[in-house]
Amino acid sequence: MRYIKLSSKNFERFFKALGIWGKVYGPVKKGDIYSFQEVQRLEEIVLDYNRTMLPPKKFFVRPKDTILRLKNGKWENDVEEGGFVLFGLHSCDIHGLKILDKVYLEEPVDPYYKARRESAFIVGISCIPDEYCFCRSLGTDFAMDGFDLFLHELPDGWLVRVGSVKGHELVWKNEELFDEVTDEDIQHFREFEERRARSFKRKLSKEGLADMLDLAYSSPVWKKYADICLACGNCNMVCPTCRCYEVCDKWINAYEAVRERRYDSCFMENHGLVAGGHNFRPTRLDRFRHRYYCKSYFDPSAGFNCVGCGRCDEFCPAGIEHVKVLDEVRGSLQ
Amino acid sequence: MSENPYISYDARILEVKDMTPREKLFTLRFVDPEVGENFSFKPGQFVIVDVRGFGEFPISLCSSPTRKGYIQLCIRKVGRMTKYVHKMQEGKIVGIRGPYGNGFPMEKMEGSNFLLVAGGLGMAPLRSVLWYAIDTGKYDHIWLFYGTKAYEDLLFRDEIVHLLKHGEAMNCSVKLAYEIESPSCIYLERGFSDRVCKGVVTDLFKGEEFDVENTYALICGPPVMYKFVIRELSNRRLSPGRIYMTLERRMRCGIGKCGHCIVGTSTSIKYVCKAGPVFTYWDALSTRGLI
Repeated sequence: MRYIKLSSKNFERFFKALGIWGKVYGPVKKGDIYSFQEVQRLEEIVLDYNRTMLPPKKFFVRPKDTILRLKNGKWENDVEEGGFVLFGLHSCDIHGLKILDKVYLEEPVDPYYKARRESAFIVGISCIPDEYCFCRSLGTDFAMDGFDLFLHELPDGWLVRVGSVKGHELVWKNEELFDEVTDEDIQHFREFEERRARSFKRKLSKEGLADMLDLAYSSPVWKKYADICLACGNCNMVCPTCRCYEVCDKWINAYEAVRERRYDSCFMENHGLVAGGHNFRPTRLDRFRHRYYCKSYFDPSAGFNCVGCGRCDEFCPAGIEHVKVLDEVRGSLQ
Repeated sequence: MSENPYISYDARILEVKDMTPREKLFTLRFVDPEVGENFSFKPGQFVIVDVRGFGEFPISLCSSPTRKGYIQLCIRKVGRMTKYVHKMQEGKIVGIRGPYGNGFPMEKMEGSNFLLVAGGLGMAPLRSVLWYAIDTGKYDHIWLFYGTKAYEDLLFRDEIVHLLKHGEAMNCSVKLAYEIESPSCIYLERGFSDRVCKGVVTDLFKGEEFDVENTYALICGPPVMYKFVIRELSNRRLSPGRIYMTLERRMRCGIGKCGHCIVGTSTSIKYVCKAGPVFTYWDALSTRGLI
C-alpha cells in the first residue's frame, strides 16, 4: 500500500480534481435519510454520515436497468456512459462490492457490471460505527483493497491509502496537493482506528456460525420471526450484497422492445416459483429462513455474504434485528 | 462490449411434432452455421429459449450430442411463454443461448451400467443420455424405467415402444409404469407382462437386482419422485455418489447471476444453474433443500 497525506487546506482542490474522472456521487442528506447523489460542490456531501439507504450497488446493479434493445428482430446492447466517481464509501460497502464482484465478474462475466466497475473511481472514507453496525465481527470494518483511494480522518486532514493504479495516477496528476506522511500522522491514524474499534456496540458471534445455523434448521425461532416479518423485501433492497434480479421484456412501440432487469426479493412468493405452479419455497417461513442462510453463507475466498452494515435492521419496518435473530437461532440449539 | 452472454443466437424451427396434448418436440438448427458448429453440449445440460420481446425460459436439451446438425427441445405448455412457443410453426426463428449447467459426467461413467429412472417430463433430459449411450456404445447395459400418468402421456412414444420391443439388441431394457388404464396400455401389458405394469415408477424395481459396483442411476422426474426412487436404490446399497439426478429450479439467467435458483443453507449455498442441474445423491444429503 502507498500512504500519503492530504491536508485540510487542499481538500476542496482534491475534490474538484476528482471531477476529471467523470460525474461525482457522494452521500447527501435528504430528510433523515442519506443517499448517494450526484454532487457539484464539497459542501453538499455529508462526510460523517452513518449509512445511505441504498448501498453503492445501485451504480453497478441498478434497481431498474435496460440491458437489451430489440430492433428489427435483433438484440442490441444499450449504450454505456463514461466514468464516474463514488466519493465517501465506507469499508463495509467496499466489501459489499467485492462480494458482488465475485458473482458478476465470475465467468461468464456480466458485461454491464464489468463496464461500470471499470469506469468507477472509488474513494473510501473512514467512519465511526453507530448502534446498528456490526462489521467488525465480520472482518469488513477495514478494506484492504477494492478502492482507488481511501481517506482516513486526521485532525488536520486525511491520511490517504492509494489502492490501485487508477488511484496512483490521479495522485500523480495532482502531486502538489499531497505531502509525505509524518510519524505524528501515523500516531493519529492509530488512535482513530483504536477508538473506532472500541465504539462497536453490536457483535455477531461468527464462530461456527454456518454449521450452527444449519443444525438449527428446525428451530422455532425462525417461525417466531417469520410471523413478525412483513415480507416486504426492504432488507433485500437495501442490502449491499443482495443481488437477485428479475427480467422482463417490454414493448415500447410496434417495432421495438427492451429487456429490462430489476431488483427482485427472495421474500416475494414467486421467487422460487417454476412453470406449472410448483414453488420451492412456498411459505414465508421458507423464504425468511432462506435469506438468513444466504447471508450467513461463508465462502472461503470471499467471506460471509453479509458485511454488517446494519441497513436491514435500520430499514426493517417490523424491527427485526439481524444479529438478534442469528443469536437466538444459535441459542435455540440444545 | 463484444461478448454479451445474455444475447441469444438465431435458431430456425425445422420441425414441430405433437407428442401429447401438452408436449411438443421442437427440432431446431442455428441459422449461423458457425454457431451450430461450435455448439457442443453434454447430456443433462439445458438452454435458454429467447422469444424476443416476450421473454425467456430454460429448457433441457433432449437430443443427443452424437446427432449433429440440430438440437431438440421437448416443451410442455404450462405458462405464457410456452403457450406462445407452441403456436410457432416450422420456419420461425427463436433465440437460443447456452448450453448451461454441468450435465451428466458421461466420460466418467464409461464402461458401466446405467439405470435411467424417468417420471413424466423427466424423460426429456434422460433421452439425451439414452441416445448418447446407445450411439457411442461405450456403456454396458442400459435399463430405462419410465413412469407416466397414462399411455397417452408417454413421451417419445415411438422410440420407447421400439426399444421395449427391440431394445435388447442395443443392450437396452425398457420397463414402463402407468397410473391410469387405457386400451393401449392394456394391450402393451398383455404383450410385455414382465415389463409393463399399472403403478408408479418404483413398482418397476420389484425383483430387480443391480450390480451396485458397476451401475450408475440417473434420475429425473417430478420433485415428489426422488425420495421414493432413492429409497429403492439405497435399499439395494447403491452408493450416493453413483446416484445422479437432474433438478428443476427457477433458472432465469442460466449463468449464476440472478439468484432465483439458489438452494442450500449456510454451509452449502449453490446455484442450481451452475453447480447443477445434475447433482449426486451425496450432494442432496449435504445440501438441504436440494430435493
